[in-house]
Amino acid sequence: MNILIQILIGIILAIAIYTIVGFIPGTDETSVLVPISLALSLSGINAQVVLAFFMASIITLSITNAIPTALVGLPGGVMSSPMMEHSLYLKDRGLSAVVIKKMAVGSLIGVMVSLPLSILLSNIIAPYGEVLKRYYSILFVFGAIFLSLLSKNKIASLLSIIPLSFLFMSLRHLYWSLDIVPREKNVTISFFLAITIGPLLLNIFELFDKEKRKKMKVIEDKIITIPSQDDRNINPFKIITKKELRNSILASLISVFLFVLSPVGLTILLGEVFSRNTKDRKERSFMSITVMSSLIQSTYISGILIPLISIGIPLSPVSIGPGIALFDAAPRFTTDNNIHHILSFNEMLLPIILAVGIALLFSYYLTNRYASIISRFVLEKIPHEAILALFISFIFLLSYIDAGVINIFGVILIGLVSGILNRHGVNYGVQFMSLYAAPWIFNLFLG
Amino acid sequence: MKKNDNITIWQDVVSIKELILSVVISVSLTMGLYFLVPSNDNSVKLLFGLLGSIIGFIISTILYNPKRKVEKI
Repeated sequence: MNILIQILIGIILAIAIYTIVGFIPGTDETSVLVPISLALSLSGINAQVVLAFFMASIITLSITNAIPTALVGLPGGVMSSPMMEHSLYLKDRGLSAVVIKKMAVGSLIGVMVSLPLSILLSNIIAPYGEVLKRYYSILFVFGAIFLSLLSKNKIASLLSIIPLSFLFMSLRHLYWSLDIVPREKNVTISFFLAITIGPLLLNIFELFDKEKRKKMKVIEDKIITIPSQDDRNINPFKIITKKELRNSILASLISVFLFVLSPVGLTILLGEVFSRNTKDRKERSFMSITVMSSLIQSTYISGILIPLISIGIPLSPVSIGPGIALFDAAPRFTTDNNIHHILSFNEMLLPIILAVGIALLFSYYLTNRYASIISRFVLEKIPHEAILALFISFIFLLSYIDAGVINIFGVILIGLVSGILNRHGVNYGVQFMSLYAAPWIFNLFLG
Repeated sequence: MKKNDNITIWQDVVSIKELILSVVISVSLTMGLYFLVPSNDNSVKLLFGLLGSIIGFIISTILYNPKRKVEKI
């Protein structure tokens, strides 16, 4: 089949899947992006198609995740949780329809600013790639320390880096000594997924604890109201004010240069900085929502594209988190042979631009016109049980493929440990960096 | 009072019984199709496994209702 047609099919599939997933409240970005992009990478589909699929996924998800936040007052994912306070304030005043439009325009600006700038910046960084590559295992150690210092619980994060590395390495050594995996293979991806589902897994384990279960019980039905939308105006310049436009452009611009920082952290920080000066409470909430929507797109786009185009090593929280399947999907992609190495700059450009362009136009139109209809459909028809079951089966399958039955238990072990750490303020970023720093840290102790 | 075993998990309400049954359905279909497919090609097996998980998803969606009450204003 013609490669262009394959790319287009990939983009359409990504839009279809992530429009639905995005509207489901509470679905964490990393856990919904990684299993599917990983399965696609492993299936051997052309690298350009994988890249196009992924780019279309993040653009779609970043817009659609914001919708439940505005419409029903539940965050669509981690990235939209910073908008909750402002969304709820505006929702209570019956302004959800305006909020959704501003979110869509904010996203549009974020993409327009960050896409060209990220590509430009990658080309500036690329010549230094060789130097960075030589030290890359140490860079992950620095990454772990750096993200620890920025996390909620700095000391616990720092303290957990070495024990976590030991946990990962001990399982790898166990698998090697039992001849389950060949010596040269580092089981990584299923450990990665284990970290991702950690909090969920811990929650499920707590169900078996009577005391805990009482606390999790919900007596009343959850009642959700969906306001209707006015659907006439979709001209971006009529939806947001000049000041909102200017601040969104500036915030996205700055965030691109800070691509090594956590996308949620940046969204909260820059979103706050650029709305603080607005005095009126309502105006300030609108400003925050618009700027944050831009930031959600720009932090994701820069966080994935800059490391991918310039060095091919997942050095930013986005690339080592949700985007990991583009860098590491052994045996297909490894840190020495992934999309960065397989595709030339020009070969990457085509799928990126097509995916971003189509996904952006489609989700912009869709959210402006049909947000409340889709929300209603998803909330009324799709049970949360089915979603959880879907992701748990992905993890089972991918763990088994990585290292057999024994690895399913290994994954549960890691999931529980990382779920507990997560609850105590050791975030995903620190844990992912520790996973990649593990061999280097372990070797230190071997002397 | 009617019997209710609903709990909040991953920021939404689920019934424990239906959650466990959904997981069993999805996991067995996923792993079942992965193993049953008569092929030595790992990517074919993977694709069948994924197909199994999607069938499981559709079955759970048909069998169970969401616990949210939606009102339109």
